[in-house]
Amino acid sequence: MTRNQIELLVLYQDVDLMLQEAEGEEKTMGFGTEGREQLLKARADIAKNIDGRFLRTYQRLHTKFKRPIVPVQNDVCLGCFAKLPTSYGEKGRKDQGMYTCEQCGRILYWVD
Amino acid sequence: MKTVELSKYLKPELFLPELKAGSKAAVMEALVQPLVDRGLVKGKSLVLETLSKRETLGSTGIGRGVAVPHCRTMAVSDVCIVVGISRDGVDFAASDKKPVNLFFLIVAPPVEGNALYLPILGKIVETVRDSKLRQAMINARDFAAFNKVFQGA
Repeated sequence: MTRNQIELLVLYQDVDLMLQEAEGEEKTMGFGTEGREQLLKARADIAKNIDGRFLRTYQRLHTKFKRPIVPVQNDVCLGCFAKLPTSYGEKGRKDQGMYTCEQCGRILYWVD
Repeated sequence: MKTVELSKYLKPELFLPELKAGSKAAVMEALVQPLVDRGLVKGKSLVLETLSKRETLGSTGIGRGVAVPHCRTMAVSDVCIVVGISRDGVDFAASDKKPVNLFFLIVAPPVEGNALYLPILGKIVETVRDSKLRQAMINARDFAAFNKVFQGA
Protein backbone atom coordinates (compact mmCIF):
# COMPACT_ATOMS: atom_id res chain seq x y z
CA MET A 1 0.00 0.00 0.00
CA THR A 2 1.35 3.41 -0.87
CA ARG A 3 1.86 5.79 1.92
CA ASN A 4 -0.82 8.35 2.62
CA GLN A 5 0.02 11.12 0.17
CA ILE A 6 -1.50 13.87 2.26
CA GLU A 7 0.54 12.82 5.29
CA LEU A 8 3.68 12.94 3.17
CA LEU A 9 2.77 16.42 1.96
CA VAL A 10 2.13 17.47 5.56
CA LEU A 11 5.55 16.12 6.56
CA TYR A 12 7.10 17.98 3.61
CA GLN A 13 5.50 21.23 4.74
CA ASP A 14 6.47 20.65 8.40
CA VAL A 15 10.10 20.19 7.32
CA ASP A 16 9.86 23.36 5.24
CA LEU A 17 8.68 25.27 8.29
CA MET A 18 11.43 23.69 10.40
CA LEU A 19 14.03 24.97 7.95
CA GLN A 20 12.51 28.45 8.05
CA GLU A 21 12.59 28.60 11.86
CA ALA A 22 15.99 26.95 12.28
CA GLU A 23 18.01 30.14 12.09
CA GLY A 24 15.95 31.84 14.78
CA GLU A 25 16.21 28.82 17.08
CA GLU A 26 19.97 28.78 16.66
CA LYS A 27 20.40 32.49 17.31
CA THR A 28 18.02 32.90 20.23
CA MET A 29 18.19 29.51 21.95
CA GLY A 30 21.45 27.95 20.86
CA PHE A 31 20.05 24.85 19.18
CA GLY A 32 22.49 23.38 16.68
CA THR A 33 21.53 23.48 13.01
CA GLU A 34 24.61 21.84 11.55
CA GLY A 35 22.44 19.23 9.82
CA ARG A 36 20.74 21.73 7.52
CA GLU A 37 22.11 20.11 4.37
CA GLN A 38 21.02 16.67 5.57
CA LEU A 39 17.57 17.98 6.29
CA LEU A 40 17.34 19.49 2.82
CA LYS A 41 18.27 16.07 1.43
CA ALA A 42 15.66 14.40 3.66
CA ARG A 43 13.06 16.83 2.32
CA ALA A 44 14.06 15.94 -1.24
CA ASP A 45 13.68 12.24 -0.36
CA ILE A 46 10.18 12.88 0.98
CA ALA A 47 9.33 14.70 -2.26
CA LYS A 48 10.37 11.64 -4.31
CA ASN A 49 7.56 9.66 -2.69
CA ILE A 50 4.88 12.25 -3.33
CA ASP A 51 2.69 11.95 -6.40
CA GLY A 52 3.89 14.51 -8.98
CA ARG A 53 0.44 16.09 -9.34
CA PHE A 54 0.16 16.62 -5.58
CA LEU A 55 3.63 18.08 -5.33
CA ARG A 56 3.05 20.46 -8.24
CA THR A 57 -0.19 21.67 -6.66
CA TYR A 58 1.67 22.21 -3.37
CA GLN A 59 4.48 24.12 -5.10
CA ARG A 60 2.06 26.25 -7.09
CA LEU A 61 0.17 27.16 -3.93
CA HIS A 62 3.44 27.83 -2.11
CA THR A 63 4.07 30.79 -4.40
CA LYS A 64 0.90 32.32 -2.99
CA PHE A 65 0.72 30.98 0.57
CA LYS A 66 3.41 30.42 3.21
CA ARG A 67 1.59 27.24 4.23
CA PRO A 68 -0.27 25.62 1.34
CA ILE A 69 -1.73 22.86 3.55
CA VAL A 70 -4.03 23.95 6.33
CA PRO A 71 -5.85 22.08 9.06
CA VAL A 72 -9.59 21.64 9.08
CA GLN A 73 -11.34 21.74 12.43
CA ASN A 74 -15.08 21.52 12.95
CA ASP A 75 -15.52 21.68 9.16
CA VAL A 76 -13.75 25.05 9.00
CA CYS A 77 -10.72 25.70 6.77
CA LEU A 78 -8.20 27.27 9.15
CA GLY A 79 -6.53 29.03 6.21
CA CYS A 80 -9.45 31.32 5.32
CA PHE A 81 -12.04 30.27 7.95
CA ALA A 82 -14.59 29.27 5.34
CA LYS A 83 -17.15 26.71 6.44
CA LEU A 84 -16.79 23.53 4.41
CA PRO A 85 -19.65 21.21 3.52
CA THR A 86 -19.98 18.39 6.09
CA SER A 87 -19.96 15.81 3.30
CA TYR A 88 -16.57 17.13 2.24
CA GLY A 89 -15.14 16.27 5.64
CA GLU A 90 -16.58 12.77 5.62
CA LYS A 91 -14.74 12.07 2.39
CA GLY A 92 -11.62 13.95 3.37
CA ARG A 93 -11.10 12.06 6.63
CA LYS A 94 -11.30 8.66 4.95
CA ASP A 95 -9.79 9.36 1.58
CA GLN A 96 -6.12 9.61 0.74
CA GLY A 97 -6.89 12.05 -2.05
CA MET A 98 -6.34 15.76 -2.15
CA TYR A 99 -9.10 18.16 -1.24
CA THR A 100 -8.78 21.89 -1.60
CA CYS A 101 -10.75 24.67 -0.02
CA GLU A 102 -13.36 25.99 -2.45
CA GLN A 103 -12.78 29.52 -1.19
CA CYS A 104 -8.99 29.94 -0.82
CA GLY A 105 -7.71 26.92 -2.75
CA ARG A 106 -5.40 25.63 0.01
CA ILE A 107 -4.94 21.89 0.50
CA LEU A 108 -7.02 20.59 3.40
CA TYR A 109 -5.91 18.26 6.20
CA TRP A 110 -8.51 17.06 8.68
CA VAL A 111 -7.14 17.04 12.20
CA ASP A 112 -10.33 16.07 14.04
CA MET B 1 6.93 34.56 29.06
CA LYS B 2 6.29 33.99 32.75
CA THR B 3 6.93 30.56 34.26
CA VAL B 4 3.42 30.63 35.70
CA GLU B 5 1.99 30.86 32.18
CA LEU B 6 4.19 28.01 31.05
CA SER B 7 3.09 25.84 33.96
CA LYS B 8 -0.44 25.82 32.50
CA TYR B 9 0.92 23.47 29.86
CA LEU B 10 2.53 21.10 32.37
CA LYS B 11 0.05 18.40 33.29
CA PRO B 12 0.30 15.40 35.65
CA GLU B 13 -0.90 13.02 32.94
CA LEU B 14 1.89 14.26 30.67
CA PHE B 15 4.62 13.78 33.27
CA LEU B 16 6.73 10.59 33.11
CA PRO B 17 9.01 10.42 36.17
CA GLU B 18 10.46 6.99 35.42
CA LEU B 19 11.37 6.78 31.74
CA LYS B 20 12.81 3.35 31.02
CA ALA B 21 13.62 3.87 27.36
CA GLY B 22 17.27 3.31 26.55
CA SER B 23 17.71 4.92 23.14
CA LYS B 24 16.87 8.20 21.47
CA ALA B 25 14.14 6.64 19.31
CA ALA B 26 12.62 4.79 22.28
CA VAL B 27 12.59 7.98 24.36
CA MET B 28 10.78 9.84 21.58
CA GLU B 29 8.20 7.10 21.34
CA ALA B 30 7.69 6.99 25.11
CA LEU B 31 7.23 10.78 25.24
CA VAL B 32 4.74 10.84 22.37
CA GLN B 33 2.67 7.91 23.69
CA PRO B 34 0.76 9.87 26.40
CA LEU B 35 -0.35 12.32 23.70
CA VAL B 36 -1.58 9.44 21.55
CA ASP B 37 -3.35 7.80 24.52
CA ARG B 38 -5.25 11.00 25.20
CA GLY B 39 -6.16 11.66 21.59
CA LEU B 40 -4.04 14.81 21.43
CA VAL B 41 -2.27 13.81 18.22
CA LYS B 42 -3.76 12.63 14.98
CA GLY B 43 -0.93 10.42 13.76
CA LYS B 44 1.76 9.00 16.03
CA SER B 45 4.03 8.08 13.12
CA LEU B 46 3.74 11.57 11.63
CA VAL B 47 4.79 13.19 14.92
CA LEU B 48 7.67 10.75 15.41
CA GLU B 49 8.88 11.31 11.87
CA THR B 50 8.73 15.09 12.20
CA LEU B 51 10.63 14.92 15.52
CA SER B 52 13.19 12.68 13.89
CA LYS B 53 13.62 15.18 11.05
CA ARG B 54 14.17 17.91 13.64
CA GLU B 55 16.97 15.84 15.15
CA THR B 56 18.51 15.61 11.67
CA LEU B 57 18.86 19.38 11.73
CA GLY B 58 20.77 19.19 15.02
CA SER B 59 20.35 17.34 18.29
CA THR B 60 17.93 18.96 20.70
CA GLY B 61 20.08 17.61 23.51
CA ILE B 62 21.26 20.98 24.81
CA GLY B 63 23.76 19.57 27.29
CA ARG B 64 23.92 19.28 31.10
CA GLY B 65 21.55 16.32 31.06
CA VAL B 66 18.69 18.08 29.27
CA ALA B 67 17.01 17.59 25.90
CA VAL B 68 14.13 19.54 24.43
CA PRO B 69 12.87 17.57 21.43
CA HIS B 70 10.41 19.78 19.61
CA CYS B 71 8.65 20.36 16.34
CA ARG B 72 5.69 21.96 14.73
CA THR B 73 3.36 19.45 13.18
CA MET B 74 -0.13 19.48 11.77
CA ALA B 75 -0.77 16.28 13.73
CA VAL B 76 -1.64 18.39 16.80
CA SER B 77 -4.20 21.14 17.30
CA ASP B 78 -2.66 22.78 20.33
CA VAL B 79 0.71 23.19 22.04
CA CYS B 80 1.52 20.07 24.10
CA ILE B 81 4.39 19.52 26.53
CA VAL B 82 5.42 16.12 27.89
CA VAL B 83 8.08 15.93 30.59
CA GLY B 84 10.11 12.77 31.07
CA ILE B 85 12.84 11.87 33.53
CA SER B 86 15.29 9.03 33.02
CA ARG B 87 17.16 8.07 36.19
CA ASP B 88 19.88 6.25 34.25
CA GLY B 89 20.26 8.81 31.48
CA VAL B 90 20.04 8.21 27.74
CA ASP B 91 22.52 8.84 24.95
CA PHE B 92 20.74 11.58 23.00
CA ALA B 93 23.72 12.82 20.98
CA ALA B 94 23.68 15.89 23.21
CA SER B 95 25.98 18.82 22.50
CA ASP B 96 28.22 17.90 25.47
CA LYS B 97 28.00 14.15 24.64
CA LYS B 98 26.68 13.44 28.13
CA PRO B 99 23.63 11.26 28.87
CA VAL B 100 20.32 13.05 29.15
CA ASN B 101 18.09 12.71 32.24
CA LEU B 102 15.50 15.43 31.72
CA PHE B 103 13.33 15.64 28.61
CA PHE B 104 10.83 18.27 27.57
CA LEU B 105 8.90 17.25 24.48
CA ILE B 106 7.12 20.18 22.84
CA VAL B 107 4.85 19.81 19.86
CA ALA B 108 2.80 22.60 18.39
CA PRO B 109 0.63 23.20 15.35
CA PRO B 110 2.14 25.26 12.50
CA VAL B 111 -0.25 28.10 13.26
CA GLU B 112 -1.32 29.06 16.76
CA GLY B 113 -3.51 32.01 17.54
CA ASN B 114 -1.51 33.00 20.62
CA ALA B 115 1.98 32.22 19.18
CA LEU B 116 3.27 30.46 22.28
CA TYR B 117 5.53 27.80 20.79
CA LEU B 118 8.75 29.78 20.54
CA PRO B 119 8.27 31.64 23.87
CA ILE B 120 7.61 28.28 25.60
CA LEU B 121 10.67 26.75 24.00
CA GLY B 122 12.77 29.75 25.01
CA LYS B 123 11.46 29.76 28.58
CA ILE B 124 12.26 26.07 29.08
CA VAL B 125 15.77 26.50 27.71
CA GLU B 126 16.28 29.51 30.00
CA THR B 127 14.91 27.70 33.08
CA VAL B 128 17.03 24.57 32.74
CA ARG B 129 20.20 26.64 32.45
CA ASP B 130 19.93 27.20 36.23
CA SER B 131 21.84 24.27 37.71
CA LYS B 132 19.93 24.16 41.01
CA LEU B 133 16.54 24.18 39.33
CA ARG B 134 17.69 21.64 36.78
CA GLN B 135 18.89 19.24 39.42
CA ALA B 136 15.74 19.69 41.50
CA MET B 137 13.63 18.89 38.44
CA ILE B 138 15.66 15.78 37.70
CA ASN B 139 15.27 14.68 41.33
CA ALA B 140 11.48 15.19 41.34
CA ARG B 141 9.70 11.89 41.94
CA ASP B 142 6.19 13.09 41.18
CA PHE B 143 4.41 15.84 39.32
CA ALA B 144 3.68 17.91 42.44
CA ALA B 145 7.39 18.05 43.31
CA PHE B 146 8.35 18.85 39.73
CA ASN B 147 5.72 21.55 39.35
CA LYS B 148 6.73 23.13 42.64
CA VAL B 149 10.28 23.52 41.34
CA PHE B 150 9.03 24.90 38.07
CA GLN B 151 6.62 27.35 39.69
CA GLY B 152 9.45 28.61 41.82
CA ALA B 153 11.68 29.31 38.83
